[in-house]
Amino acid sequence: MAEEDSVVTLVTRYQHRLYRYLLRLVRDPATAEDLFQQTWLRVVQAIRRYDARRSFEAWLFSVAHNLAIDHLRRRRLESLDEPPAEPAASDPDALERCLALERAGLLAALMNELPAVYREVLTLRFEEDLKLEEIAEVVHAPLSTVKSRLRRALEGLRSMLEKQV
Amino acid sequence: MTEHEAVRELLALAAASALNAGEQRRVEDHARACPACARQLEAWRALSGALRRLPTPVVPAELVARTCTRVLAESAAAAERRWDDAVLVFLSLFAWTVGVATWAIVRLMNNGLLAVLDARFMQPMVWLTASSVLAWLTAGVVAVLVGHRRRMTWRSL
Repeated sequence: MAEEDSVVTLVTRYQHRLYRYLLRLVRDPATAEDLFQQTWLRVVQAIRRYDARRSFEAWLFSVAHNLAIDHLRRRRLESLDEPPAEPAASDPDALERCLALERAGLLAALMNELPAVYREVLTLRFEEDLKLEEIAEVVHAPLSTVKSRLRRALEGLRSMLEKQV
Repeated sequence: MTEHEAVRELLALAAASALNAGEQRRVEDHARACPACARQLEAWRALSGALRRLPTPVVPAELVARTCTRVLAESAAAAERRWDDAVLVFLSLFAWTVGVATWAIVRLMNNGLLAVLDARFMQPMVWLTASSVLAWLTAGVVAVLVGHRRRMTWRSL
């Protein structure tokens, strides 16, 4: 009974964040649902190995990351490599005009067009509000790589936004 | 690279609060003196703010309930498998102990404590122990193979 309560509490507490993270990463609601369930199965199975000194959120997203990356690799739906850097955008006014379109869901749609590694770092930083060190733990990458991905992701998104004007 | 160019490289990360305290101060100090960088920083901040306000996707109805049901069912099945494993280990140990101890108990009951140590007893005991060790080595290999298969199953979940 205690286990049942704990499972229900945890799944309920993290449902929105975990589902959002998975959906941003795999972009397909049915796949995100399946990975959501698999993540919790894996979490419950591995809970004895969880180090309570670590952030639970980072551990949870790390489990979800592994499953999602395995899925994307198996399906070969898209490249998991970082694409070459694009020139940085430079027109602040154009960006501000674009951000007005944010309400129409344009920003989320454009974010979906970014490569998976960039979508992931953006959602972890801005939507999940994880620290860079936690993001590095989730994606199993050095801090410098996370910083570089974050900068390129923002530049890529900004460039796409400005092309919309 | 000039200070202006170096700071421009940091503006996006500054707006994302992804710089250390020294770098953040460097960007802010420069932006106070450079209107172009100040405007860029504001633009990056607007983008960061918009990303923080992205609408959260709606979690499908019943997903939490379905997940909890599946997780608890799997957890119960795993507990049952652990119990089965424990029973199997206990029964194996029990059978092995009975096998080894029977000969000693029979000798002890028929001839007393010293009979356990004589040569006629020790020789069959050596063979019994050797055969038991071989059996346990075989069982160990089987256990490793079964464990490996289970890990594979677990990974594929």
